[in-house]
Amino acid sequence: MTATPPDLRALLASRRLLVTAGAGGVGKTTTAAALALQAALDGRRAAVLTIDPARRLAQALGLDQLTGELRPVAPHHFESAGLAPKGELWAMMLDTATTGDQMVARFAPDAATAAAILANPYYKYFSTSLAGAQEYMAVEQVRALVAEGRFDVVILDTPPATHALDFLDAPDRLIEALDSSAVQALVRGRQRAADSLAGRLLGRGRGVILKSLDRLTGGPFLEDLTEFLSLFGSILDALKTASKAVSTLLRAPSTGFLLVTSPTRSNVDEAVRFHAALAERGFPFGAFVANRVHFNQALLPPAGLSAAVRVDLEATLAAALAETAGEPVTAAARAALIDTLCAGLADHNRMARRDAGALQRLNEAAGRPPVAVPLLPLDVRDLGNLAHVGDWLLGREPRP
Amino acid sequence: MNHTEPETAAPSAAPVSAPLPDLLARRFVLVTGKGGVGKTSVTAALGRLSAAAGRRTLICELNTHEHIPGLFGRPPVGGAVSPIAENLWSVNIQPDEAMEEYGVMKLRFKTLYRLVFDNPLVRRLVRFVPGMNDLLMLGKAFNHERERDHDGKPVWDMIIVDAPATGHGITFFKLPRIIRDAVPAGNLHHEAAAMWDLLTDPVRTAVHLVTLPEELPVRETLELHGRLADELGLPLGALLVNMMPPHLLSAEQAEVFARLETRPDDPLLGALWDSTQVRLSREVLSDRAVSELGPLGLPTVRLPLIYTDDFGAAEVQILADAIAAGLAALSAVATR
Repeated sequence: MTATPPDLRALLASRRLLVTAGAGGVGKTTTAAALALQAALDGRRAAVLTIDPARRLAQALGLDQLTGELRPVAPHHFESAGLAPKGELWAMMLDTATTGDQMVARFAPDAATAAAILANPYYKYFSTSLAGAQEYMAVEQVRALVAEGRFDVVILDTPPATHALDFLDAPDRLIEALDSSAVQALVRGRQRAADSLAGRLLGRGRGVILKSLDRLTGGPFLEDLTEFLSLFGSILDALKTASKAVSTLLRAPSTGFLLVTSPTRSNVDEAVRFHAALAERGFPFGAFVANRVHFNQALLPPAGLSAAVRVDLEATLAAALAETAGEPVTAAARAALIDTLCAGLADHNRMARRDAGALQRLNEAAGRPPVAVPLLPLDVRDLGNLAHVGDWLLGREPRP
Repeated sequence: MNHTEPETAAPSAAPVSAPLPDLLARRFVLVTGKGGVGKTSVTAALGRLSAAAGRRTLICELNTHEHIPGLFGRPPVGGAVSPIAENLWSVNIQPDEAMEEYGVMKLRFKTLYRLVFDNPLVRRLVRFVPGMNDLLMLGKAFNHERERDHDGKPVWDMIIVDAPATGHGITFFKLPRIIRDAVPAGNLHHEAAAMWDLLTDPVRTAVHLVTLPEELPVRETLELHGRLADELGLPLGALLVNMMPPHLLSAEQAEVFARLETRPDDPLLGALWDSTQVRLSREVLSDRAVSELGPLGLPTVRLPLIYTDDFGAAEVQILADAIAAGLAALSAVATR
């Protein structure tokens, strides 16, 4: 095992696409934005994209809103945080409806087909309303952005872990679905729907199957869905090519996955599972990032302070208080305060024990320690905060 | 059927019937919130509270890695409804099993179901329709609400669904309405319509929001509230603010501590000063964040942050007690 955590600065410099993934609430978006900011501060052109429907990234970047458009972060946000980027920072929220619309417009053979697809009720069902649909839609735009070459590094923030796996699988699943000769025939042969469905595709028991499906769903659903798929069929080939390109990109050596977690057991479980899933699918692992970590304070032993240390501490506190203005504090009140402060630090150390176990598990999974960021007493809501987080991520002395 | 199994497997306590606050009286409960806010711990605590009131309670996880049984010191239960504590059962609903159950229910014969759903084309089609899994899982939870014993009485006094995290969650709640409107007729239409009726019924259903006392989760909760209440018209229950850091210092101690304006040079006192500063600023941020939830006007209960390296049954009990105390305090205020 390597003893040192991975150098995120080197990753930022060597990869074209970094993908942050992990459970909800572990600071994925903050990590993605903080790294993009660091890249921009270091003179690189960086873009950060999120497909998280909550608009956290917008808030963290101090933008009023992130839309489906890629936009530069305005200079005054840097100025007010006392930052002078040598490069550029761009941000975008992958809006699923817009992304889908753009994709249809781009891949449809003609404007009339595009219009027909956009007007189909099932298109809306697919593109905006249903979980998982956004993964189908978002990946292509990311690929286009990376392929354009306008940015040195693109950082993609993904939805929480279970859906992040959907995200990883989306291009392949799409290819699989589109590759299926059965679906191809279904969507292209709907004029002869009854015959081709029954005869060629379903095979044995076809009549029963069709009747059963009707009973399960109500007939019109299947019919309408088939109609939608047939419309969609006109863009299948272009979509398939794009999906293959995305699949290739996600596996490229210039791509890296950052698995972000907090030290809670269930989040670490998710991160370790995700790490295994990456390996299984051939996606390049970059690093584990553990946020909100408590580090052990060894000056307070688990058994509490020894009598001698305790006596010294009381004297030290008495002396420190004597230098301040205000009423004298009784010895009893000082002793009680020390008890309370020690109880607070003991709470912290109990969490630190838990967190050390979490870091160890990540270490075992990856073969090297994770990048660890302490629990910071701040809400990340402007670029200054974000730069502070970035300093921790890159393992350097945080600026004040 | 699943529900016959636990009746023999777990002793059913004579209903002690400690009266539950109105908020916990509704039978179909969904717990939602941003990811990482501790929805599952809160779900477990609500289940504990309901079960302790003598109600047969079922907790539904939706195709997760199953955290609920572990919180009660039990191994994972999988897709079968299983007892995890007195009056308390848990199930991890799987989309495939939910589909099979629905299919067999409608088609009446398992062999027929197999014939249809083992067909590769059908499988692929179903897989290709996004959201189908969520609909099936919600449908299974819905079926538990409809379960009746041979006397026609509901099998479950309370069903608590650990719903998906928000973002994804809004879509999840909207699903029955989308399907109802997209599918003009037939079984699927009727199922979705009945599910939507249950979800929006303030007599049977309560949607509890879990949040953290931090700026971003609070903002998301404000947004979520707007979407669930105004856009979807769902009956909201309580707002549960999880992981509220308990105040470390008394008022007098805080005054004395504040006199140490700069970090003491002594290493030990310095370390204590550091950790107390971090803790105090977290308390301030938490209080500020919670105050922003006021305008929602929801009954609000604060649950303590528990400093432990091993969150388990004892901690769930602490949360359950905090919910009970919080709701009691709320109703005391209301009657005063």
